[in-house]
Amino acid sequence: MTAVRGRLGKAERDPVFERYRKAFLFAGPNEGRTTAYPRVAVYTGSGASHSWIWFADLMERIGLYDITFIVESDMSSGGLDGFDFLLVGGGDTYAMAESLGGDGARAILRFVGDGGLYLGSCAGAYLVLTGVDLEPFTPFRLVTGEMRNVMPDPPKPRCLDHKYLARYGEEWVFHPVYGEVEVGPGDAAAGFPCFDAGATIRAPLFGGPIMEGAHKDEVLARFSGLSDRAAFLWPRGDVLRLVDGRAAAVVSSIGEGTVVVSGPHLEHPLFPGANALAAEVLLRHCARKGELGGGRHTPGRGGDKPVGGEEAESLAREIRRQVSNARIVAFGLEKMPVTWRIGLKVWEPEKVRMFLDYAWYRLPFVAKRAALVSPGERLAHLAGGYGEVTQMARSVKARIESGEDSQAEAELLLGTLKELTAAFLSVYFKLRLQERTGLPEKPRTS
Amino acid sequence: MDFMYYGDILIVDLEAGTTEEVEIDEAWRAGPVLPAALELFRRHAQDNPLLLGSGILTGTTAPASCLGFVLGASQITGGPAVAPLDMFAGAEMKLSGFSMVLIKGNSPDPVYLWLHDGVADLVDASPITGKDTWRTCDAIREEMGEQLIQVVSIGPAGEAKSDLASFSINYWGSGDNAALGALMGAKNLKAVALRGLGMIDAEDPEEFYNRTMDLLRGSPSKKGFDWVSRGPEDEGIDAWLKPLAHRHRSCFACPCACNTFVKYNEDPAVMGSDGVQEPGLMVTNPAAALWLRQGGWGAEGACRAMEAMTRAGIDAVRGAREMSTGPLEDPTEIAAAVEALTGSAGAAWPRGEGAGSGIFGPRTPPQGSEDRWLEVNRAAYVLGICPLFLVTSGVELSELLELCLPAAGVEVDAGGIKEMFDRARA
Repeated sequence: MTAVRGRLGKAERDPVFERYRKAFLFAGPNEGRTTAYPRVAVYTGSGASHSWIWFADLMERIGLYDITFIVESDMSSGGLDGFDFLLVGGGDTYAMAESLGGDGARAILRFVGDGGLYLGSCAGAYLVLTGVDLEPFTPFRLVTGEMRNVMPDPPKPRCLDHKYLARYGEEWVFHPVYGEVEVGPGDAAAGFPCFDAGATIRAPLFGGPIMEGAHKDEVLARFSGLSDRAAFLWPRGDVLRLVDGRAAAVVSSIGEGTVVVSGPHLEHPLFPGANALAAEVLLRHCARKGELGGGRHTPGRGGDKPVGGEEAESLAREIRRQVSNARIVAFGLEKMPVTWRIGLKVWEPEKVRMFLDYAWYRLPFVAKRAALVSPGERLAHLAGGYGEVTQMARSVKARIESGEDSQAEAELLLGTLKELTAAFLSVYFKLRLQERTGLPEKPRTS
Repeated sequence: MDFMYYGDILIVDLEAGTTEEVEIDEAWRAGPVLPAALELFRRHAQDNPLLLGSGILTGTTAPASCLGFVLGASQITGGPAVAPLDMFAGAEMKLSGFSMVLIKGNSPDPVYLWLHDGVADLVDASPITGKDTWRTCDAIREEMGEQLIQVVSIGPAGEAKSDLASFSINYWGSGDNAALGALMGAKNLKAVALRGLGMIDAEDPEEFYNRTMDLLRGSPSKKGFDWVSRGPEDEGIDAWLKPLAHRHRSCFACPCACNTFVKYNEDPAVMGSDGVQEPGLMVTNPAAALWLRQGGWGAEGACRAMEAMTRAGIDAVRGAREMSTGPLEDPTEIAAAVEALTGSAGAAWPRGEGAGSGIFGPRTPPQGSEDRWLEVNRAAYVLGICPLFLVTSGVELSELLELCLPAAGVEVDAGGIKEMFDRARA
């Protein structure tokens, strides 16, 4: 695992993940296990905010390293073939739906129909709800459910105005609570260990749907309480009346496939209980399916050539240098009273460091194995990219300090960071997967 | 080291322009503290090394855990000398990702060393050569894009290898009374910039945190300089500065805010800033103010002189002694007088108990005997706790020493510290 300390590191080391690591780590159709080793696609394209990296984090915690980060063009060009899970996190649902379009929607439907699992949280959940029935969402409707958090004229919020509303036709989608909530089991979670003995779990709700209208058997989790670790945009009593007993997560079978949607971020790295709920869904899907697309996939043995050991080490050092420089600027950005609106999504400056941290804590692993990275140009791309990110972050900060508008620069910075983080994590997970599948430690040299 | 430090020891070869990381010697059970640095200093004596490091508790929740160190050969004492790396620079040194830094040789071209999260970069300093310490700090922070970077730099006096040279910490004067700034100048090392976003592990975090919070709650909270006065002649410095005083600021984790920010280019009553870019100075060493006051200077003139000396990278304490005979008021005359000091040979600080002894400078007030004075200074640097806090807070040294067990898993006592220094022949 990574070398994260503090609260995040503690969550990462939670014993709850052991069950899933064991189940998945030894999985494989050729080994006579009960489940196959799944291939995972994580959506990082238009509209995706930073939360897709939480999915990557969760996959790592449960031992799933065969991860590919995809964008909208991958989906519509048959890029979902051979994957077992498609994970879509939070962000700007309108931007997602528009960029995926009808082709993307059909690709998702075909993927699920062929036995894949779609797991969407927050924006990824709104995207496929039947109750979200305006353009550009109409082609996506996969899971029966209505949004409870929609009305024509919502009351004024008590705080976090910028997080409160999103236009939905003539109405508004509103978010009355922002932060940790409590959820209990729905009928579909019977036998889930995370809900043993009537336990509830905590998960963060950052604008995801509060649902109703799903079939009782398909409700995976229901809102059951609130927490002090949340901002209440409505009076707490009103929030409780709105959410209590409503569906927080819903699971539905379509053909051979499974669709899971969740208002709260079950993948959030600080919530091991919620992570376990998501992991259990994945595991059960695998157990039900047996043979998966991943069984047909042999990862990591491409004919691409790694760079030589010394050059690889030097590039790894350069990546470390630049990520460190960028993190230091990003830390300074966090103190600044600024947010950026990109589409419907409000981005806070701390998201810059969040992206960088995901690379930073995984860098020692990559650096030790830099000579195995193939093609070697990937390292050069990362080194150059993080150098650019450092300059961009400095430029954004300088503009803010001098009172100039930083929107355009910030948009470019966050977009670049998103792509670069996906590129970094691709390298990282490829190395992880190589270790898991026992590929040789030493690269073939020319 | 599993606790309280992370990373290896960094060896910077300025002549070759290379950096190398070496493992910490297991023999230094208490950590890469000052005695370990003294041993390295001797091993690398032929390379005229400059070392930076921190104490066991530096950068933690322990009260006044602000102290790191800079060690090098003083051109005015002829032997090894230690200067405090305080304010926020000691804590940043701890978090830089290196447990200690040894800088050897001289660079052919001006450079500055940028230490960040375990990465060491030698950066071309030719664009900032000749700049004063304020502009140097500005330039490095602007280049790296962060205002919290701690910049240990030299000004023109250091570049001229003046006996009066001193390194500054960011914009303010340091406790370098041994011309380690001149050593930096000789190395063509304009600055060391520090920043780290890491965290330090304690052996028993809960126990350590609870104990340090208890100590902090039991510590006095003080402001200004009078409480650290060196004797009757020192008293009244706060009253003297009061018409200019704007705020008091403590070093890292210290409950006592002795540093006093004075405004003389702007009304001190203005809470923020009234558009004046450089409204005044942080007085960090009262001894400089005392010398000037004793020489008949007014507070404003004295503060302007201290600013000019700090900017030039002149040790304000020894510089003030040079200037104390002729009180000045006119800023232009003050600037000219300070400029005349740049490159001056200057005089060494008189040695003796309370005025600097052994490798230590004169910041700590007399303690009744030289042995006790040395004991305080040794303990301060090994622990990383400000010596002024040690001698004035009422917190027992033994209570701070006991923190080493939950912090680093090592037992340290005053006798053990003396042995460490004896072994290092300091």
